Amino acid sequence: MLEMLGYPFMQNAFIAGLMIAVLSSLSGSFIVLRRYSLLSETLAHVSLVGVAIGLLLGMSPLWMAVAASLFASWLIEYLRSVHGMYSDSVLALFLSGSLALAIVIVSLAGSFNASLFSYLFGSILSVSNEDLWVMGIAGSLSVALLLAFFKELYFIAFDEDVARAGGIRVTLLNFMLVSIIAVIIALSIRVVGTLLIGALMVIPPVAAIRFGIGFYPTTLLSMGIALVSVVIGLSASYLFSLPSGAAIVLCLLVIFIIALVINRR
Amino acid sequence: MPLKFSPSLFEVNNLRFERRGNLVLKNGTFQILPGEYCAIIGPNGGGKTTLVRLLLGLEKATSGEIRLFGCNQKRFRDWNRIGYVPQRSALIDETFPATVREVVAMGRYPKRGILSFESDEDKAAIDKAMVLMGVSDLSSRLIGNLSGGQRQRVMIARALASNPDVLIVDEPNTGVDVESQHRFYELLRTLNKTDKLSILFITHDIGVIAEDITRVLFVNQSILVSRNPAEMVTCDEMSRLYGNPSHVICHNH
Repeated sequence: MLEMLGYPFMQNAFIAGLMIAVLSSLSGSFIVLRRYSLLSETLAHVSLVGVAIGLLLGMSPLWMAVAASLFASWLIEYLRSVHGMYSDSVLALFLSGSLALAIVIVSLAGSFNASLFSYLFGSILSVSNEDLWVMGIAGSLSVALLLAFFKELYFIAFDEDVARAGGIRVTLLNFMLVSIIAVIIALSIRVVGTLLIGALMVIPPVAAIRFGIGFYPTTLLSMGIALVSVVIGLSASYLFSLPSGAAIVLCLLVIFIIALVINRR
Repeated sequence: MPLKFSPSLFEVNNLRFERRGNLVLKNGTFQILPGEYCAIIGPNGGGKTTLVRLLLGLEKATSGEIRLFGCNQKRFRDWNRIGYVPQRSALIDETFPATVREVVAMGRYPKRGILSFESDEDKAAIDKAMVLMGVSDLSSRLIGNLSGGQRQRVMIARALASNPDVLIVDEPNTGVDVESQHRFYELLRTLNKTDKLSILFITHDIGVIAEDITRVLFVNQSILVSRNPAEMVTCDEMSRLYGNPSHVICHNH
């Protein structure tokens, strides 16, 4: 089984998968606790619009996805925090709106359906060295920011008003968090796919919360669940010729069900 | 006229607040001095919580001036000098993965720098607040697994962990049994009298704390300040404020 690690494409797949597991579970803990889980799904769909525009205009789909996802994340946070709109309503608006826009762009162009299809489901087994470098740099920056403001983000997730009253710069940190999530998602859809990245961000913390432990252990457990799922999912993908993204998500679901059964209450 | 070098904790001048064109508060001119035990009373919807939120900078005044510890609110940065226990803080998400100690430790977060670990001073302040509120033995329990009274004590411990100069408590006894309420009032009295902590307390139970308070803010759109303890809680004042005949019964502790 270890022979698979001898192939460069599998080495790249594992490095990319493990990076995404750490990034998505770390940032996912905050959005799950804030009842903001659909943010990842929404930004993944918005990223698809960026990809479509990139392919249509002959520009880098990756960077167009990052730009679209960032812009949408700021708009979503602005509507939620400044205009006081309900989070789920804003997310539903962007989710359906961006999908509609992506479909229109695809139907107008018509020639790159196959390329776009790979972004829907991802292709972790064709990760290039350049992809790894981009993910490594952006990912390191994201982890550094998340760790630097970890306790503040935790306080905000628990009680936004009291955190603000204590002098924590809630608005700034909220925009920082959605920006980080936007970048992580845009960089990950190439690998995991638009339809699956949300699962990687949401299921690990949801499963970890079932164990009824404190926040810091929950975050570590969530990260562990994501890492184990990526390793098992990629291995299963190699051994049984399964689509890698789907194998990872199914593995996450199995772990979630185990957590649910162990912690019935 | 406001003093230039005010010793006040809070000094409010001509405060007015409108929400989407509707008047919520007006005529807000008062000050609260160090060591005071101030009750904020008034009917539901009268603007008590809004007043506190304005003091904390959570709402922006339409007009008027708020000074905190002598400093204009816009330039004020020492927010950890104010401990805040919001309304219904005990009604939290039961599945939130936070232990009692983690919640109390949040009170120290604004004092700590980024990427910092808990210092000995932080640990001592957290332990002291937990002992004071009698929640040390609940340290590793999840906050969602506690009773309403226990959660209330944890939230106050969190507010006290920052060693504030003033504690603001907004109707904390929602869903709390009578015995816990009395313990709570006793604790506030001790904090004020023994630890010299200033207290702003939004409540409807004015009779229970009538003997302890040094000032009352009557809030029903307008803010009326009463200073003389003897005239604080007269039946006439209460009746006028609440719009119904009211009786005040002072409890002996």
